[in-house]
Amino acid sequence: MAGGHIEINDLCKMFGDVVAVNHIDLVMESGGFFSMLGPSGCGKTTTLRMIAGFEEPTSGQVLLDGVDLSHTPPHKRPVNTVFQNYMIFPYLNVYENVAFGLRRQRCSRSDIGHRVGEALELVQLGELANRKPSQLSGGQQQRVALARALVLHPAVLLLDEPLGALDAKLRRQLQIELKALQQRVGITFVYVTHDQEEALTMSDQIAVMSHGVVEQVGTPREVYDEPTTEFVADFLGISNIIAADAEPAPGGGARLRVGEFTLVAKAGETGSRGAVKCVVRPERVRLEPYDSGGENRVPAIVEQLVYLGSATRVVVHLATGQTLQSLIQSDAGPLPYEQGTAVQVYLPADAMRVLRPTGQGVTERSRALSVNRRMARRWSLAPYRSRRSKGPHSDQSTGGSSERPR
Amino acid sequence: MYPRRYLLALGLPGLIWVVLFVTVALYSLIAIAVGGLDPLLLTPVPAWNPLHWSSSSLTLVLSALKPFAGPDWVVFQRTCIYIAIALAGCILIGYPVAYYTAVCAKRSKPFILALLVAPLLVSYMLRMLAWVGLLGPGGWVNAVLVPLHIVPPQFNWLDGRSVTVICGLTYGWIPYFIIPLYAALARFDTRYLEASRDLGAGTVGTFLHVTLPMSKQGILAGTVLVALPLFGDFFTNGLLSGVSSTAMVGTLINTYAQSQTEQTLAAATAVWLTAFLAILLIPYLRSSARATREVAR
Amino acid sequence: MSATQAAPRATSGRTAPSGGLLLRLRRARWSSYGLVSIVIAYLVWSLAPVLIAFLFSFNGGYSRSIWQGFSLQWWTGPASVFHDPMYYDAIRHSFLLAVLVVIITVPLGVSLSIFISRWRGVSAKPVTFLSTVPLVVPELVLALAMFFLVTKLLHFVALGTVAQVAGQATFILPLVIVITRGRLASIPIGFEEAAMDLGATPMQALRLALIPLLQPAILASAIVAFAVSIDDFVITQYMSSTSSTQSVPMLIYTATRGTATPALNAMATVMAVATVVITGLGYVLYRFVSRREQIPTLAGEEMPAIAAFGEGAL
Repeated sequence: MAGGHIEINDLCKMFGDVVAVNHIDLVMESGGFFSMLGPSGCGKTTTLRMIAGFEEPTSGQVLLDGVDLSHTPPHKRPVNTVFQNYMIFPYLNVYENVAFGLRRQRCSRSDIGHRVGEALELVQLGELANRKPSQLSGGQQQRVALARALVLHPAVLLLDEPLGALDAKLRRQLQIELKALQQRVGITFVYVTHDQEEALTMSDQIAVMSHGVVEQVGTPREVYDEPTTEFVADFLGISNIIAADAEPAPGGGARLRVGEFTLVAKAGETGSRGAVKCVVRPERVRLEPYDSGGENRVPAIVEQLVYLGSATRVVVHLATGQTLQSLIQSDAGPLPYEQGTAVQVYLPADAMRVLRPTGQGVTERSRALSVNRRMARRWSLAPYRSRRSKGPHSDQSTGGSSERPR
Repeated sequence: MYPRRYLLALGLPGLIWVVLFVTVALYSLIAIAVGGLDPLLLTPVPAWNPLHWSSSSLTLVLSALKPFAGPDWVVFQRTCIYIAIALAGCILIGYPVAYYTAVCAKRSKPFILALLVAPLLVSYMLRMLAWVGLLGPGGWVNAVLVPLHIVPPQFNWLDGRSVTVICGLTYGWIPYFIIPLYAALARFDTRYLEASRDLGAGTVGTFLHVTLPMSKQGILAGTVLVALPLFGDFFTNGLLSGVSSTAMVGTLINTYAQSQTEQTLAAATAVWLTAFLAILLIPYLRSSARATREVAR
Repeated sequence: MSATQAAPRATSGRTAPSGGLLLRLRRARWSSYGLVSIVIAYLVWSLAPVLIAFLFSFNGGYSRSIWQGFSLQWWTGPASVFHDPMYYDAIRHSFLLAVLVVIITVPLGVSLSIFISRWRGVSAKPVTFLSTVPLVVPELVLALAMFFLVTKLLHFVALGTVAQVAGQATFILPLVIVITRGRLASIPIGFEEAAMDLGATPMQALRLALIPLLQPAILASAIVAFAVSIDDFVITQYMSSTSSTQSVPMLIYTATRGTATPALNAMATVMAVATVVITGLGYVLYRFVSRREQIPTLAGEEMPAIAAFGEGAL
């Protein structure tokens, strides 16, 4: 059943002078688990609310299975939401809360009983139907919110940071349950979070957002291993960012000048020229004895060693002036260096990834590639042409959050 | 999110009411104050059109109230004095009561609060009625004071004495002062007192330098809440004195309003009174806006 | 036992110079005794006259200030409060006005508050300002203004009960708005959004998600409106016409300096007791309803319910 396919075309939302969502395009595949990840104020919640119908777009479209929903009121959309604070009606018991939407549809009493029972079983709350919300724990309230939304068989389920109010252990357990639930029910989940671990664990696709702009869209592995911009590299995992002067090297790759040293980078935007930023993950930074020689090696001094149990984080200060973090997995035996030791840092060329400037992660070319061919054809037939590759406007790096505080 | 027309439909009855009965009513008041008298019937005629406004009543009233010169200046002066003394009484008596209830009372708090709210439920008139009964020549107040030779026998408290009116005003309005003051003091964090003691201040010092400054806003709020109605009060004087030698501004307006020919004067006096109060209110509004901003920060 | 008894004495001797400790205790006791006596004196001064007035309704003679023995004549006899039409008409009229005022102001005020707080777009501040004006101007000014409005402009509204209700409602509406908006500020809009998300139309969302959460405020508004209306004098007086539109406060005002019998006291007692009983019941109901409709509060100070209630009563 192909339903619940969402397209967001050139969506823009302004609150007064503040641009919360800045001309973004996204495609959320039917039946997938799609996350929007970013810091607070990046526009992810505003986008979600526009899909739900609580905000009207300033411009742009929200299409569900090809139908433009942008001006449909929320109670008429086949989309349901799990709110951040659950918003369980405190004066109704669990059964009535879950039955709320069904009653609006005027289902018969037996129908309601049947479907509510089903939904409560799905979230494992079968015996609590008569409890009042004040008698439930946070995790149980969250399940009620889920059941209440799912009982209506929506095409898409929207989740606005639903696990934020729970403690870490419960959160991890519910992440697994949510993912399993989504696969069982088979509908599209659109999930908003600022927790990168959450997004990486559960999602099929992640859209990393910042300041109202989509920085990168990809699978968890793609956004983690192959970040396209400094923001994405920085937001997911720990990264070492190196500023350098680039020029394309003959035979592929980019030649980077960092201080007096020259390094070769084989990943990312190797065709770049001029001032660029480059990222290398701590796991790929290798430490060798001083003066061993070789390509992509830089002398350094060990500044700090942090023992993490399964690994050791080594902070090294390079001769180029930068400080990098290296993650060494624990082996049998101590490390052959300590604070103050001179070492040589090896940055493998295929671990050096040249980044695009922040805000230009998604270009027209990459967008077209990430979209299903059928959709691309439909898109090109769309009567409205857009200014698609919009970067951040120079005049709207307004300080502070661009998301309306609620 | 709510369609505009739904919200408008919801708010429209209230909006119409407010516009009609507040705005238009106040405009009618102004229109009468700047209007004239019908030459035949000698009834006030409102001047709806600003072009037809005449300032005769307004200037008449203003000149009657001219400081130290106009015939009605005494009334205004007396009103201010009465209100000042009554407010002082409210603060001196009301502050300790509110402070005790908010900060010191523990188990007795709900009980005391109920007793503080009770006078608000018993009508103002009944409370004045009670005093009229007590202050008569044969009443219980004299029954206590005469044997002590504080007052001569058959002393009538109710025949036009300022003392009676002032005490009546204080008695009548002090509950309206205590409740907002209580509410403000209830938010007072007693840990400030502990901090002050910790830093070496004694009881008096703590009170003067910590408690009092922090209750300033509450005292101001209570004062404003009571002072405004006090300026319109005429019935306290009417009940406890009944003589024009203790009349207040409210009495003036009310008396004018009783006779049709003088209703324009009543309106004019009311307009000047409101303007006066608005000017008085400005520093309060500014200081409370400042205080709210500080708290928000 | 003796060990524990010995210990405190020993420590008090060690931790502070005994003279200073005693002095501090004495001072504390004095100041707290002083405060307590002020509070008690105030409460007595505040309530005793009223209780004495109640007492005098049982006076044996015709005086309202000289006690002439105990009697029930003003309660049950032919000239009593329940037999003299002047008195019980006033009682009836006061209750009539109060009920009508509650019926008008509560729905009007609640819907206007919802409008103000949920309206997006052009600022609703002028509406808020206008609606609080009646609280700021002295009641006499408002009464005069409404008097002129009714007699010079709205001729179809005659002075009398209708005008009295309109006048009181105008004065009381801001109180309802203040109470309701206070509660509205602590209700997240998420509940109405959730309702609409689940398929409720905007009107249904209002009815099913917002109003139940507003029940405490609605109840408090009704009680405050009732209490303020019952005791209102100035506006009721100015909007009145004949003696049939006389309310209890008006009657007390007219009759107090005259030769009215203690039946006057009896009438006032009836009103006071009725108001206290109704308000008390209302308060109990309010506490019950608030506990039921407890929502996860956002920011918000905890004002004891009575104080919030009482503050609203102004």
